Amino acid sequence: MALLAVEDLVVRFRTHGSVVHAVNGVSFELAAGETLGLVGESGCGKSVTSLAMMGLLPKPAGRVEGGRVMFDGLDLVTLSERDLRDIRGREIAMIFQDPMTSLNPVLTIEEQMVETIQAHKKTTHDDARKRAIELLTMVGIPRPENRLKSYPHEFSGGMRQRVMIAIALALEPRLMIADEPTTALDVTIQAQVLELLSRLTTDSDTALILITHDLGVVAGMTQRINVMYAGFVVETATTVDLFERPWHPYTVGLLHSIPRLDEERPEQLIPIEGVPPDQRREPVGCPFAPRCAWRLDVCWTDNPPLTPVGLVGRVTTTGSGATHRFACHNPPTAEEAAAGRPLRDGFVAAAPPGTVIERLVGADDVAPAAAEEVALFEMPEPGAKGLPVEPDAGGTGDDDDASQGRPT
Amino acid sequence: MAATTTAANLAQPRASRGLWGDAARRLLRNGPALIGLAIIAIFVIAAILAPVIAPFEPLQRDGSQVFKPPSATHLMGTDRQARDVFSRILFGAQISLLVGVVSVIMGVAMGGTVGAIAGAFGGKADAVLMRTVDVLLAIPGILLAIGIVVWLDRGLVQIMFAVAATNAPIFARILRGSMLALRESDYVTAARSMGASTGRLLLRHMLPNALTPIIVASTLALATAIIDVAGLGFLGLGPPDPRTAEWGTMLTGATSFYRQAPWIIFFTGAAISVSAIGFNLLGDGLRESLDPRLKR
Repeated sequence: MALLAVEDLVVRFRTHGSVVHAVNGVSFELAAGETLGLVGESGCGKSVTSLAMMGLLPKPAGRVEGGRVMFDGLDLVTLSERDLRDIRGREIAMIFQDPMTSLNPVLTIEEQMVETIQAHKKTTHDDARKRAIELLTMVGIPRPENRLKSYPHEFSGGMRQRVMIAIALALEPRLMIADEPTTALDVTIQAQVLELLSRLTTDSDTALILITHDLGVVAGMTQRINVMYAGFVVETATTVDLFERPWHPYTVGLLHSIPRLDEERPEQLIPIEGVPPDQRREPVGCPFAPRCAWRLDVCWTDNPPLTPVGLVGRVTTTGSGATHRFACHNPPTAEEAAAGRPLRDGFVAAAPPGTVIERLVGADDVAPAAAEEVALFEMPEPGAKGLPVEPDAGGTGDDDDASQGRPT
Repeated sequence: MAATTTAANLAQPRASRGLWGDAARRLLRNGPALIGLAIIAIFVIAAILAPVIAPFEPLQRDGSQVFKPPSATHLMGTDRQARDVFSRILFGAQISLLVGVVSVIMGVAMGGTVGAIAGAFGGKADAVLMRTVDVLLAIPGILLAIGIVVWLDRGLVQIMFAVAATNAPIFARILRGSMLALRESDYVTAARSMGASTGRLLLRHMLPNALTPIIVASTLALATAIIDVAGLGFLGLGPPDPRTAEWGTMLTGATSFYRQAPWIIFFTGAAISVSAIGFNLLGDGLRESLDPRLKR
């Protein structure tokens, strides 16, 4: 049985009259000792997913409105605060993004470490202190017995993150969630902290969920990756599979928007146009459709479920043999994934519903260059409520701009 | 080397240098705060030792020495009833400081509890408590104090309570604001994520961080409390016995004769303002020293 199974998790934030659809049915599993990357851009629900798992959503706005989080046979969503508190820190530990603000400024490192240890273990102060020294040594803090008396502000950012890792590992948790652990750090320190995190979790056989927006970070760190977009998991695969052959247009976009050093010639970076959808609206269709170059008409109305690549008899959700799954109606081909854009002749990304598409085909009096032009007209009447509307994609069709039909 | 330092450190008593130890050390390096501390110390010592150092009893009349200007026998002159102003100011310090300190402690206890509960739990508790506080805040402080003294009758305890009631809403607001901000702070979330209990979060992570503004505000409130007490005395709502040596009451008596005996107003007013300045200086110094991030 998997150590952790998130099943159809739905998280919403309800504030003055508006509902933010933060997580919209996320499912994934994690085996003991496994490392998983949660990747996606800001606001895609990766942090909210982890906070929801820990019961740490900001109250009263944030609520788990559906699904289960099974950890070692217990549903963390319905667990009482008291039982959850016992699991936090002891079974599941968390490291936050900003080490500068994650430590209490008025307590010494010793007080904070000893407190955490004593919150879960009946032990004397001296024993807890010895354990703290041991942990600080483990994370590479020089002269730990002296540094215990220091306040957080007396440490650098990298050192504070090491302290956070030490605190998180204090009770040998079975799962560690690291939420953008290196985003606030310098690049040189990033590598050290990641290496440390990787080594310590491997040594102690702690499962790790690494949340990041940086595919480069997860590449070397995790066995599997979940790509998230607008509160959905859009692709999940082993790290090797995902980098080798991404199936979801968003993953393709992510991979093409980071520079790679292993290319012979510096390739062109292809940014993903547009912005993520407004999550105050109930999601309709594929969340990525408005920004997708491969979208079909169906993408605007139907959100595709996660489906396995190829014909697989049984879906494996964890481990190195995990089934590669993605949620797309019109996945890029291998060549397109490598190129980062659609290569099919005459393919045009579907216009949003509510626009009339007029094909000027077969009209003899039209200049040949305009024969394949697509004219888009916005309907005067507002489209169905909640549907994203594309910005005006072009002129009225009577100019000679042949690039109009190109996918956006 | 590591072994020896470990041994040395383990042998060391813990908490040899905590938050408060550090704050005290920083305070002692702060010039203005030291001046404030010195002023307060002088007033406190004067108040405690008043029976010993005062040349006269506060109610004692010195024969016919009415409205005598400052001299060697009467350092601050005499008043209409030939009483020694210096002695009366010394004894008055007892009342002013006692009432000031007790009323501020009461105010912090009342307001702080309300504010901490409102800020830490939010929701309905917050709404009900803070609206009540808003009602109290809407009434001007001295008016509220006058109302309470008139309602509860004159007396030292009543004055203390009245001054406390005027300060309490301010403390409630301050503490609620800090607690509210702290509730969402990264380190409170981090502590929660490591399994800290609600009590621990409140008392160990939130309250100490919320305390700094309260300590500063209460030191500053001591200054206004002394002025409020004097103000009540000035308005005739001081201690029931009008002869009591109380700064505000003394000031009222002296205003009628400011032409014959301006020194009474001068010295009494100076006692009130200098003690208030002392608390203000200390309050500012405390604010700087209690913030570990401002460590120099």
